[in-house]
Amino acid sequence: MGNLKTGHLVEAGLWLLLALVLFIYSFEFNKPIEIYKFGASGWPRAIILLIVLAALGQLFWHWKRGEGGATSKLNAAADDSVEAPDDHSSLGWYMHTLVLVAIPFIYMRVPDFIGGMMGLPPDGLGTIKMLTAAPLLVLFAWMAYRNQVGGMLALPIFFAALLQDMGFYALAPMFAMGVMYLMGERRIKWMAGVAAGVFGILLLLFVKLLYVGLPTGNVRPFYDFGNWVVTVLQ
Amino acid sequence: MDAFNNFANGTVALFSDPLGIVIFLSGVVGGMLFGAIPGVSMLTLAAILLPFTAHLSAEHGIMLFSVIYCTGVYGGAITAILFNIPGSPENAPTAFDGYPMTQKGQAGRAVGAAVMCSAIGGTVSAVLMMLATAPIADWAISAFGPPEIFALVFFGLAVAASVGAKTIWKGWLSILAGLMIAVVGLDPVGGIERYDFNMPYLLAGIHFIPTILGFFAVSEIMVQAEKKVTGAYSAPKLSVDFPSFAELWAHKFAVVRSIIIGFFCGILPGIGATLAAFMGYNEAVRWSKERWEFGKGKLEGVISSETANNAATGAAMIPLLALGLPGGALTAMMVGVFQMHDMEPGPLVFLNSADLVWVVFAAMFFANLSILLIGFLETKTIINLLRIPFQFLAPLILMLATVGAYAVRGLVIDVVVMFVAGVVGFFLRRTGYSVAGIVLGLILGKIGEQTFAQAMQMLHYEWTGYFSRPIGLALLVAGFLTLGASAYRAFYAAPVQEPEEETKSA
Repeated sequence: MGNLKTGHLVEAGLWLLLALVLFIYSFEFNKPIEIYKFGASGWPRAIILLIVLAALGQLFWHWKRGEGGATSKLNAAADDSVEAPDDHSSLGWYMHTLVLVAIPFIYMRVPDFIGGMMGLPPDGLGTIKMLTAAPLLVLFAWMAYRNQVGGMLALPIFFAALLQDMGFYALAPMFAMGVMYLMGERRIKWMAGVAAGVFGILLLLFVKLLYVGLPTGNVRPFYDFGNWVVTVLQ
Repeated sequence: MDAFNNFANGTVALFSDPLGIVIFLSGVVGGMLFGAIPGVSMLTLAAILLPFTAHLSAEHGIMLFSVIYCTGVYGGAITAILFNIPGSPENAPTAFDGYPMTQKGQAGRAVGAAVMCSAIGGTVSAVLMMLATAPIADWAISAFGPPEIFALVFFGLAVAASVGAKTIWKGWLSILAGLMIAVVGLDPVGGIERYDFNMPYLLAGIHFIPTILGFFAVSEIMVQAEKKVTGAYSAPKLSVDFPSFAELWAHKFAVVRSIIIGFFCGILPGIGATLAAFMGYNEAVRWSKERWEFGKGKLEGVISSETANNAATGAAMIPLLALGLPGGALTAMMVGVFQMHDMEPGPLVFLNSADLVWVVFAAMFFANLSILLIGFLETKTIINLLRIPFQFLAPLILMLATVGAYAVRGLVIDVVVMFVAGVVGFFLRRTGYSVAGIVLGLILGKIGEQTFAQAMQMLHYEWTGYFSRPIGLALLVAGFLTLGASAYRAFYAAPVQEPEEETKSA
């Protein structure tokens, strides 16, 4: 095993798996182009080959050197990586975080799936979307309370996942407060004040002055609220 | 004289346009602030602003970015000196002596030296840039075809991959990941869909704006959030006491040396300013008779590093504007600004949009001078702004990023892509990969594939055709030599110590 650690093998395995998946999928577009000898798949396959070589090179290097250090002063200088704290680098933490990050994607899939089974049209899913979002939000809050960093990673994705349905105007203040809470702020008045201030600045700047159309949502009553805010400001 | 006249015209155009003045001043102050605030950098600001440059003219957009570049490189020195947190890699050597000076209660002297030397280095570099870029672009128009451009892209990626991350392997994998992301969408020759996974969104490719916002703005917030939660985030404190002019005059040779080093390093595609700062610092140590004092709070260390990195800013614009090749993350974003206005950076910009180029040059010159003025007048104000708790700043940045990502095409999926890119960036940075390398790969990937295809068609698929094109051949050889040298070093050289510790022990 030389100086190899499990992490090195996992890292190399992930790169090689990615390369394999990309290579297999490249047959989908492996079509000739009349004016170009290498076709549509030549360039991506060359990159895939280089990924495999670099991943194996890195594995060999880890085997020889272990974790090693930067290989030159410039490499050390350009290194913008961050050390993971011990309590945030265990397998348990990664799994917990993975579940947290998966919650928004569950929301993005489940209502359409249920609606499809019930034969509902896409614009008739409002109630199902709210009924799906509510328990997922509770689950998210419970898990994020126990893993604040994981929560901080997943909250923005959850916010983005809800954006299409609930709209920016209803979600943004709650999102701002959520971010502050997960970053350790506990003073409710400060959180409310800053959220209102940030929300106000954004509305004035983008909606009132620049007429940027932000998502109003498509589920009532969020949709009505978003439209009301836009009407008042413009 | 042509250059002088063009510069004068650019200056008049810049300062006779009220919107231009507002954008210029916003860039100067914004770059400095975002460079200075721990946890965000000029790249964060640039990423946030990138989508909104679609509403500006190309001239204003590029000018804004170039101004942010100049003052942001200086702003990063403030955090390097005060908290030992370089705003970006190019400020890292500034911290070697700047932070020990802060610990000795001489933070003001260090910040003052950084202000003066950044302004001097940047201004001289801007002048050299004005003199050099147009002739190089003129030459490039006749000398550069697709084979040369592909060779140049290859050379740039080879340099960036070899020195842009912790190890050459991570550097290469970062660049390759970026190149692979660039493959998604329609192929540039035959228009065949690639890796669209039957999702209409992916047909147009993964848009670079949400990706850049995610990698630079969102991942940085997540990194800082983790520090905040784990208690590793430190609050700033400082007193200001600028050095005298005579004290700086005593280091005039260090300044000149660093300008020369900085300028030539900045021209190299890859990571110009970082190389410049480190070489400027290393040469200062090598030439000094008191080299053991470096790393313990020696003013010359700050002077050498800050002069060199700002001297690289003007130089970094030369490959971008004369050849169309971005050398780093910020210049890669400038390519994005050009593309949003249906323009390609490169020698033709001088023919088609000479006004734009000279307004940008004038803006860079005056932005560097502004460092001197604002650095002295406003550093205390900046220091007070640094006291804003990060948990209050983070929601503002995340929501600005949300609005920015959404505003590009009015698609919520772009916001999702941005935040997912933020999470991916967070984990990649934990494992030593370079998000800047990925973005460089993403931006250069399309140019690289297109010029490769054109080059192969021109050369009838014979690589030996490069032997009749000496410039292209030289660039290819330089790229392979760069790769070979870094691979050799990776296997046979001893790993370096942390730069700070190494310097201290010197």
